[in-house]
Amino acid sequence: MIALYDYELSGNCYKVRLLLSFLKIEYGTIPVEFYPGREHKSEWFLRINPLGQLPVIDDAGFALRDAQAILVYLASRYDPSRLWYPRSDPKLLGEIGQWLAFADAITATASAARLHDGLFYELDVMAARVGAHRLFRILDEHLWFREQEDRDWICNASHPTVADIACFPYIMLSEEGGISRQDYPSIRRWCDRFKRINGFIVMPGIFPTSPAVAA
Amino acid sequence: MREPGVGWYPIAATSDLPLRHVFHGQLLGRELAVWRADDGYVNVWENRCLHRGARLSIGINDGQELKCQYHGWRYANRTAGCTYIPAHPADAPARTIRNRIFPVEERYGLVWSSAIGTEELPAIPALEGGPFLPLRGIVVNAPSAGVVEQLRWYRFQPIGAAGGDAAEITLDEADERMIVLRSRQNGAETVGVFLVQPVDSRRSVIRGVLKGAVQDAERMAVLRHHNERLSKLGDAVEHRAEREPLPPALELAYERLAPELAEMPELATSGRKAALRVTIARKWLTAEGIVAFELRPLTGLLPSFQPGAHLDVHLPNGLIRQYSLINAPGESGSYVIGVKREASSRGGSQLLHDTVREGDVLAISEPRNNFPLRRDARRTIFIAGGIGITPLLAMAQTLEHAALGYELNYLAENRERLAFPERLALLGDRVKTHLGLSPEAAQGLMRGLLSGYRPHVQVYICGPGPMLDAARRIAAEQGWPENAVHFEYFKNTRVIEASTTFEVALARSCVTVSVPAGKSILEVIRENGIEIASSCEQGACGTCVATLLEGEPFHQDVYLSEGEKLSGTKILTCVSRAKSARLVLDL
Repeated sequence: MIALYDYELSGNCYKVRLLLSFLKIEYGTIPVEFYPGREHKSEWFLRINPLGQLPVIDDAGFALRDAQAILVYLASRYDPSRLWYPRSDPKLLGEIGQWLAFADAITATASAARLHDGLFYELDVMAARVGAHRLFRILDEHLWFREQEDRDWICNASHPTVADIACFPYIMLSEEGGISRQDYPSIRRWCDRFKRINGFIVMPGIFPTSPAVAA
Repeated sequence: MREPGVGWYPIAATSDLPLRHVFHGQLLGRELAVWRADDGYVNVWENRCLHRGARLSIGINDGQELKCQYHGWRYANRTAGCTYIPAHPADAPARTIRNRIFPVEERYGLVWSSAIGTEELPAIPALEGGPFLPLRGIVVNAPSAGVVEQLRWYRFQPIGAAGGDAAEITLDEADERMIVLRSRQNGAETVGVFLVQPVDSRRSVIRGVLKGAVQDAERMAVLRHHNERLSKLGDAVEHRAEREPLPPALELAYERLAPELAEMPELATSGRKAALRVTIARKWLTAEGIVAFELRPLTGLLPSFQPGAHLDVHLPNGLIRQYSLINAPGESGSYVIGVKREASSRGGSQLLHDTVREGDVLAISEPRNNFPLRRDARRTIFIAGGIGITPLLAMAQTLEHAALGYELNYLAENRERLAFPERLALLGDRVKTHLGLSPEAAQGLMRGLLSGYRPHVQVYICGPGPMLDAARRIAAEQGWPENAVHFEYFKNTRVIEASTTFEVALARSCVTVSVPAGKSILEVIRENGIEIASSCEQGACGTCVATLLEGEPFHQDVYLSEGEKLSGTKILTCVSRAKSARLVLDL
């Protein structure tokens, strides 16, 4: 069985939990107390990930770190539909890679602001917020034009991909870092659509939404 | 020139409001929760729950109501009246729990609202007669005045001449919130209307609409052309605004409560009030002997209601009758009632059946709910006899919409007497009809339905008196506690004894009155200028219930349960009297 080194309040760990839930894969978790215990910097955990970062998975002895890398691995190996990470479509794979990098930039800004506000990290929170707003403006514009072409998801596919999963958590948690999403209506609608994916689960700070439309 | 802040502004695009979404809007500093119900109505509300102030924009739009994410308070489509409070499952929320609503119009692909002023949304002549193409709204972190000023110099290519940058631009119209530009090149010509929404003192949205039709690839090219140029314009204004001092934030007045809700009802001895005027929008025969009415307001919105609520209909011949609303949740544009023709009609149902027509105006009371529905049961059993279907149909539709477990048992003479078949059909196999049962067979059926009390199951019964008496007896025999069995009688068939004389002290009002033979407590209280709501005035509906502080009551109603009667803490002032010489009421 897959084991996930997990912290409940981590958006990056939540990405992995989301995909595991969408794919209906059973897994176990090994809780790592990120705050206040700083267990991710402890000796035992640094042996597992010398970067001292969550999440990490252990799939029958195969250890892998980095949320985006784990999404790519799990979708490639365990998604029989091939829709979350369509390996046979080079353009789509390129797009996914592009937006996975974008998700990392969201982590570096929106997640950093949340760490500052919620867990008292010392960093330039104004710069983090300005950076997040710049990214959100770009994504909102992208999603607005996607909607104009009747497309629901970040990449040019009719099904969500791991890029949607990678971008979702720290966008949805941005208000915990003082970053309002009020000026990004297309992002807000995409968040509603994401929450309606079959198998969607929540985490602290992320609420469910209504079912799409009455039968 | 309009005064700043007065009148209508666009607050969103129509495409910002897909079904089951809540848009987070803001106008002149005031945050708004904007949502479209499944019936298409757009709601613009103050963005805070009346309970703990949580933003309603993160709430759940279930298509009929908006549910706050924090503690689950529910607010009705149109009126924003609270329909349910999960922490008080047995109570009907007070009418004063109503969120603030703002006027709304949808036109030119935009959603408009107005914080101040009551005039109609003025037409924009440049866009009349459509078609039109709404552009992407561009957020600019700068005061609106600078954005409007810069838009005077906005340059764009007309539809059909996308390439190049040589179009001739003329300024057709300009005021402090709108710029109309005309772009011409090589015979192609396009008019663009650019409105600026002041989000707050430091933030604006440019909402552009083009006159003209354009399809597919060219449409996308036009949208991208304006998105790029308006974004660039916005960036330039932002850069300039960064060098200027920040304008002060706008001050907002938060209404604590709508004035008509905050007012105390006037002291009066007029008795039952018909606060509302409605027209009969539709009258139809929904079943043999049962006529349905759809009642629409003459002006404004109808007060919100909860499942189980009834209203008084004041008939042209002076009679007052009570009818339950059968509306589903969120169906807030009109009230729907069902009226059975009573063989022994004293002129109420007969008049509604034979004389009253579509288009007629009726006087009705606000809806009142003395038969509230709990939504925290694991399973709910409804048992309706005949026209008793009406309140239970409203309840069943509510539980159906919330995907909660229930079954609706409907006893009727025959298929032709099943009312509102189109609504029953939507409830599918949750509806179990039982046709042509004898009283004995009906009792057998109820014995089966109520066999053995199960915790977390609630029962609601409405129907003819003998059926209710039997159902309540059976439930008691099967061990159902009173608080799990809810009932509503249509009328009190008991002969009311009114020959005694006694004294009633009204503790809050510091008045002691004497009730003579032939008069009710209610009548005497009213004669002394103390207002008390009432509806059926025969001990069936429960509207005139009062808290009893002292004395031994003589109950003659069919509203209170046996337990409530024994506890001696409540009394229906319309029919009940005193066994002791004196009663003290909390009035």
